[in-house]
Amino acid sequence: MGPTRPLHAVFLRHPAPLRSNLVWQCSRSYHSYEHEAPPPFTPTEDAILSAALAHVPTHGFTNTALTQGARDAGYLDVSTNLFPAGAFSIVKYHLVTQRLALARHASSLQSQSDITTKIRKLALHRLHANEPIVHHWQEALALLSTARHLPTSLRELALLSDELLFLAGSTTVTSAWYTNRAALAAIYASAELFMTQDKSKGFTETEKFLKRRLEEGEKIRGGLDMVGKWVGMQAGGLVDGLRSKGVWI
Amino acid sequence: MRTAVTARLFFNQALHRPTPILEFLLPSFTVPQTRIHYASITTSSSSPNTEPSPSSLESPTSNKRRKPLSKTQRDFLDRVLRVNQAGELAATLIYTHQTSPITRAHPHLRSLMHHMYSQEAGHFSTFNQMLAKHRIRPTAMYPIWSAAASALGWGTGLMGREAAMACTEAVETEIGGHYNGQVRILLGWVKEMEDKGEEVGEEVRELVSTLKRIRDEELEHLDEAVGEGAREAKPYEFLNRVIRSGCKGAIWISERV
Ligand SMILES: [Fe+2]
Ligand SMILES: [Fe+2]
Repeated sequence: MGPTRPLHAVFLRHPAPLRSNLVWQCSRSYHSYEHEAPPPFTPTEDAILSAALAHVPTHGFTNTALTQGARDAGYLDVSTNLFPAGAFSIVKYHLVTQRLALARHASSLQSQSDITTKIRKLALHRLHANEPIVHHWQEALALLSTARHLPTSLRELALLSDELLFLAGSTTVTSAWYTNRAALAAIYASAELFMTQDKSKGFTETEKFLKRRLEEGEKIRGGLDMVGKWVGMQAGGLVDGLRSKGVWI
Repeated sequence: MRTAVTARLFFNQALHRPTPILEFLLPSFTVPQTRIHYASITTSSSSPNTEPSPSSLESPTSNKRRKPLSKTQRDFLDRVLRVNQAGELAATLIYTHQTSPITRAHPHLRSLMHHMYSQEAGHFSTFNQMLAKHRIRPTAMYPIWSAAASALGWGTGLMGREAAMACTEAVETEIGGHYNGQVRILLGWVKEMEDKGEEVGEEVRELVSTLKRIRDEELEHLDEAVGEGAREAKPYEFLNRVIRSGCKGAIWISERV
């Protein structure tokens, strides 16, 4: 197994224009409320991959787990040909199904809590979904950060960030749409990495880490807002001042 | 001269023959887009009287089967709603920056400027809500459009009433035509669904009526601007051409990035 490159580091190492391009990827097309989106996996894929995931705690994210899963689901070993990406398919299956499962959890959130609290609760819920396989998550991260799978990995991370913000009720549609998603993606990815080393009971240290990072993010964002307001106020004051001196602007 | 030709050649090639680098930088540039033709419109505040108004637009309930919007249709909505939001952002900023110099010189225009501004603010908030609800990303050019629209409003405001009105006329001609094109395409979908005996969903039905209303308001702005001397602006032709091609360019870019 190669050295693990934390996803957020990969993300931040990209030059800024590429980074925003990666965030773009979380854009899907128009979301309709009148029709359910088609399921992401076929019934066969679903059966094999969910069975394979059950073998991850013992076999890790490996082809063995995949083969075992196929057998459990009643398919021949050769059916693993369905998954040319091999063990990575199990990782992706976990990411996609857990992201989609967040919607069910979101309805249980208290409506009175603010967006940041909701984001934290949702992100924490998602992190806890890694619990059963957390000992093997570094293997998953290694697979995720290989050059071949990197585009899929970053897209999945961006989709998760978008999902968290949407479910938390964020309605920001200014340029902050991009910065919010980029910041949350980086925070989530670093919390996920932190969790793989966390020995505390119930992952309370990860919980604290996440809270701290989100608060820091909030502070930076608040600070940026203030700078924007200050610049606007100065410009407005200047225009008013000149106007009062009879300058026609 | 030769550089310009080479640059254009490169640009055309880059656009029409996807290169891996460009595809990675700007994926949406190289994805073949459905070409939409927007017919230009003449000044008139009435909606075209040839516009069909299918009966299914008025009947909210039916137990006909309903087909999901296709990927192409959803991509179309994604693109146009993003452009609409950017356009309304620009409109509110143009009026905001024109109002002060214009109403100082022409106090009788205060109520008109205020009326047009508040309608634009209403449009802007309508599209903001739609983007959030339907999970559509805003244009990545957001800060740039803000700056450009503010500068345009401020500049034409300083040039005087006629220039400000010429600006409104030019912008509304493009925007009105843009909305008109959308209404026409959506009505095409509605007709197709009706012909196949499918139920037209509430979402499409509502969108058509919202777009029609907003288009009619834009066309009113156009008429009011012409009434307030837009055509007397000097240099009218120049302003009209520059602002209209600016709008076209902005629409083209916002559809993609
Ligand atoms: Fe408008
Ligand atoms: Fe308008």
